[in-house]
Amino acid sequence: MTERANGAPLDPSPDLSVSLGPIVLDHPLVDASGTFDLLEYARRYDGDYFADFPYAAYVPKTVTVDARTGNPAPRVTETPSGMINAIGLENPGVRAWIARLGEWAHLRQPVIVSVGGNEPEQYAAVVAALDEYLDAAAPGAAPSIQGYELNISCPNVSSGLQIGADRAATAEVVGACREATSRFLLAKLTPNVRDVTEIGAAALDAGADGLSLINTLKALVLDRDTLKPFLGNRTGGLCGPAVKPVALRMVAEVAQAFPDTPIVGMGGVATGLDALEFIACGATAVGVGAANFTAFEAPQRILAELREELAARGFASAADARGVALSS
Amino acid sequence: MTEAGHTHGDHSQWAETSHCRVAAVRHFGAFAVLELIAPRVARRAAPGQFVMVTVPGGGSFLRRPISLFAAHADRISLLVEARGGGTERLTRLDVGDAVEVAGPLGSAFPTEDVSNALLVGGGIGCAPLQYLADELSAAGAHVTACFGFRDFRSARAAGAFTIDRLWVATEDGSVGRAGTVLHLLAALDVSPGTTVYACGPTPMVAAVQRWTFAEGLHGYVSLEAHMACGTGSCHGCVVDTARGKLRVCAEGPVFRLDEVTP
Ligand SMILES: Cc1cc2nc3c(=O)[nH]c(=O)nc-3n(C[C@H](O)[C@H](O)[C@H](O)COP(=O)(O)OP(=O)(O)OC[C@H]3O[C@@H](n4cnc5c(N)ncnc54)[C@H](O)[C@@H]3O)c2cc1C
Ligand SMILES: Cc1cc2nc3c(=O)[nH]c(=O)nc-3n(C[C@H](O)[C@H](O)[C@H](O)COP(=O)(O)O)c2cc1C
Ligand code: FES
Repeated sequence: MTERANGAPLDPSPDLSVSLGPIVLDHPLVDASGTFDLLEYARRYDGDYFADFPYAAYVPKTVTVDARTGNPAPRVTETPSGMINAIGLENPGVRAWIARLGEWAHLRQPVIVSVGGNEPEQYAAVVAALDEYLDAAAPGAAPSIQGYELNISCPNVSSGLQIGADRAATAEVVGACREATSRFLLAKLTPNVRDVTEIGAAALDAGADGLSLINTLKALVLDRDTLKPFLGNRTGGLCGPAVKPVALRMVAEVAQAFPDTPIVGMGGVATGLDALEFIACGATAVGVGAANFTAFEAPQRILAELREELAARGFASAADARGVALSS
Repeated sequence: MTEAGHTHGDHSQWAETSHCRVAAVRHFGAFAVLELIAPRVARRAAPGQFVMVTVPGGGSFLRRPISLFAAHADRISLLVEARGGGTERLTRLDVGDAVEVAGPLGSAFPTEDVSNALLVGGGIGCAPLQYLADELSAAGAHVTACFGFRDFRSARAAGAFTIDRLWVATEDGSVGRAGTVLHLLAALDVSPGTTVYACGPTPMVAAVQRWTFAEGLHGYVSLEAHMACGTGSCHGCVVDTARGKLRVCAEGPVFRLDEVTP
């Protein structure tokens, strides 16, 4: 901290802005894909949600090339300190998705589109369709889509192989998308692997600009009456506070292995201190997922708490706190 | 009622958190009616809508969906059955306790142009029907209710209701007529054009649906689903309908009887 030239008191409010690769964020918090629908928030809010949008960037639910109806019910339930879901990437497909972009074109914050698929070509087709649309769109006709997050880590789609558990498959998906776009590319990693840095290396070598992690942990919940799998998909993905220590460990491993790489850390963030812990483990930005389900105002609260945590510890900026857990 | 008049519109949903106090509690066995001071919820509410309730005391990660049992002036009431850890905690709330709710959420029962209404409920599914009966009666409709319960224990809920023409059946015959709501329906003399409103366990809803169509009537049903957000974001609560997969928390919980296959 430096004192101002005129000797005025130091501004106690830390600088929250961070750079996620080329994307400048007002603060480190973004929503985790699939847990926050901007238009649904806007229509359940008294004010102008676009003006009051709490996240620094918007990550919508994963989009695939064709429409998906998702998994049979039930799809969600609570678990100790968290929840399990098996939504199955329900989405209208990229064409229908693009057709609705005008409804939220006036969002000021940058958008990172989460992209899913079964084959490399399907991922690349989504990215290409969006890039093509954006390049042709009139100014103001579409939100500010500045990057893609490749969801190679959803545990709830029965494509057999989980792409993000295999180095070669990861490289193929990332490589195909790298050819399709010059926009910022994140690869979203699964925790369901032996070594998350192996997959991270494969993604970065194939052209990813950064990494986000973790997606959910593959898990099983039984119906307490029948002792059969509770979810319609049988297995699902575990998230929420229960997974935070696993997520922190993996973010730290990735940050240590790839020190200058932009990282979006997530998994169980429910408070500002949780978010600071991810930054301390090397995250550039922090995703908030299931905590969105606990209160409409969760993002605003977590952001206020993060600001207080940074100030209370004397950090002049969020960037200053990055990686402090990693140095001995 | 300006906002409540737009029953199927999303603009009648409101997801910001209301910090409320418990104004009154009445117990009926394992059930409790919680009266909460929640002016902004009450003002917008319509029958059939629900709130997401934060389980007090921590320990529960997700909020619980609970129907509006009544709404008057600055108050809303909830009828809660202690079924698991969260609802058990809610039934133990006391006067003066703080509780957080978000709502009203979801679609409402259409009530316009209804002169004869038949309300059919099973178990805790009866909860949204008190508020519906209040609104229909206030609008001058003729309201009859048939409620079915499993046994004496679950029939305790009936004590919470104030509906003039209310018929009760229990499967074990301990209260009211022995049998199910279907037995009550069979004994009714139903006027043509009656609107049927149903809420209850899936087998009951399916049977009421068959009965309604056989009688040449139409109606609405409120469905349950396991929810995470309750506000349209997670797609955790979908059901199959004639309009495709729809979210119980957003397009529902109230659907037309002829568009669902329970
Ligand atoms: C639209 C709607 C309206 C409802 N209205 C009422 C009401 O007015 N009064 C009332 O007592 N109950 C109502 N319920 C059911 C109530 O939400 C569940 O009983 C409650 O969530 C159970 O929580 P628990 O912690 O006691 O049980 P647990 O079984 O311990 O809960 C574990 C998880 O499963 C979920 N869950 C369990 N049972 C159900 C269920 N039947 N439906 C949805 N989620 C469930 C819980 O929310 C929680 O996430 C309603 C449900 C829905 C969907
Ligand atoms: C209901 C639900 C839906 C999700 N959908 C997606 C999705 O579509 N794409 C994706 O990449 N991750 C999805 N996720 C995973 C989250 O983005 C996040 O990685 C994970 O939940 C861990 O964060 P959390 O503990 O804060 O929820 C979903 C999670 C939940 C709970
Ligand atoms: S519970 Fe999340 S969309 Fe309905």
